[in-house]
Amino acid sequence: MEKKAENRREFIQKSARLSLVLALGGVGGFALTKTTKDEWVWQIDPFKCTQCGRCESDCVLAPSAVKCIHAYDLCGYCDLCGGYFKPDANELSTAGENQLCPTAAIERKFIEEPYFEYIINEDLCIGCAKCVEGCTSFGNGSFHLQIMHNICLNCNECSIARVCPSDAISRVKSNEAYKVKGDFTTNT
Amino acid sequence: MKNRAIIIFLILLAAISVFIIIGDFKSTRPDKQGENPFDLNLDEYKDVAPELIKYKEVKNFKLDIKGLAGISYDNGNLYVAGDSSVQVISLEGQLVNNFPLQDEPYCIVANLVKIYVGNENTVSVYSSDGKLLSTLGPFTENSVITSIDTWEENIFIADAGARKVYRFDSDGNKLGEFEGKTGKDAQHGFIIPSPYFDLAVNTFGDLWIVNPGKHMLENYTFEGSLRSFWKASSIKIDGFSGCCNPAHYAFLPDGSFVTSEKGLVRIKVYKPSGEFDGVVAAPKKFKEEGYAPDIAVDDEGNIYALDFDKKMVRVFELKQTGL
Repeated sequence: MEKKAENRREFIQKSARLSLVLALGGVGGFALTKTTKDEWVWQIDPFKCTQCGRCESDCVLAPSAVKCIHAYDLCGYCDLCGGYFKPDANELSTAGENQLCPTAAIERKFIEEPYFEYIINEDLCIGCAKCVEGCTSFGNGSFHLQIMHNICLNCNECSIARVCPSDAISRVKSNEAYKVKGDFTTNT
Repeated sequence: MKNRAIIIFLILLAAISVFIIIGDFKSTRPDKQGENPFDLNLDEYKDVAPELIKYKEVKNFKLDIKGLAGISYDNGNLYVAGDSSVQVISLEGQLVNNFPLQDEPYCIVANLVKIYVGNENTVSVYSSDGKLLSTLGPFTENSVITSIDTWEENIFIADAGARKVYRFDSDGNKLGEFEGKTGKDAQHGFIIPSPYFDLAVNTFGDLWIVNPGKHMLENYTFEGSLRSFWKASSIKIDGFSGCCNPAHYAFLPDGSFVTSEKGLVRIKVYKPSGEFDGVVAAPKKFKEEGYAPDIAVDDEGNIYALDFDKKMVRVFELKQTGL
């Protein structure tokens, strides 16, 4: 009789422990799912981007969360930069009428004869990709667009991705949140 | 009553249809983009005035070779290097010979007795029947051999990675190298933002080297002293645009330069003085944002453009002018 009572007690204790473990596991699993879900962010594949201009016009933010970034290891530091100067620029100077960027968001800095560095001012950049088009057409393609995650709202459905004609925007893991051009690029 | 219901139904149907049509018209889905206000329109530079085009494409032939790397003309044949072989092709497009390569080629030049194939950091020397005779190099860790030419006993090798030109004799002995610096204190020599760095020796024995970052063609002594140069920096038809042009060039028999550009792909001719002479092929002849064709010229002055995008050799002849 005592043995039976012990067995019953043991059974209840074991059941309680098992329930607790299952409950904790369930809560943990749910939390993990949430965490994993939040780890995905939107990003542009610069090799698919066709510089259509929709990043500027279709982001829910104004100005867009898409900005031009510069892969310095790819840049030729050219005097005649296709991303900085208008094709018909009168001279290679920083005068406004010679600049391709509609918001003058690119700073041209003299390094040493004949090299110049080009620095993007993110606050001024509107993500229109005009410089990217110029750099891709005439240079090494070191200018390219990226979604900046300090600005992006990470919408459930990215309004740019919805209209991107080249399917260049997709969700990526937040620990690899940027697709920056670099050594892996191909020659153009 | 019944008719009235039908009329209301039809009006509703018409309203819904109009709503759907307007919605579709105003839609911004991927295939219905309006005009891009930030578009960089280069159309005006792709159109070339017909009177400037002095050559016509007379034929072309497709190539059955992967990974095209370069073209050269010698003694009535064209030599085309690809991933794993060199094809010797007659000027009519017939395959004359074909031999395998040991390394991935980057450029090729053929003279009467030897064929020189530039690899990443070596140059392989083959006999005319495809037997490997010797190897020059390896040069440096960063080397990318982009052009080779010969003159009598001299071999000139352009290394875009090291930004140098090497000079060897025909026995494979290194005679020297230079970086295109005009003096010891000069801060820069050859400016090479991307792996396009061409050189050639004309029929008079003058060594000309492209300084692509400066849009210049520079004439050097064989020892590496700058003798003269000319420059044409402009997106307009008479200049070179972008970061590194001309990407390739060759000489006409009279010493004129036939240049090929990347970015805005076009082939043009400049007089020996560097003055713009005319257009061989306008940008509309090539794939948009395609590769700059490599160039070869035969003894008659016909121009052979290796079109990397269409995988073919395109032949251009000078137009006959009316007398």
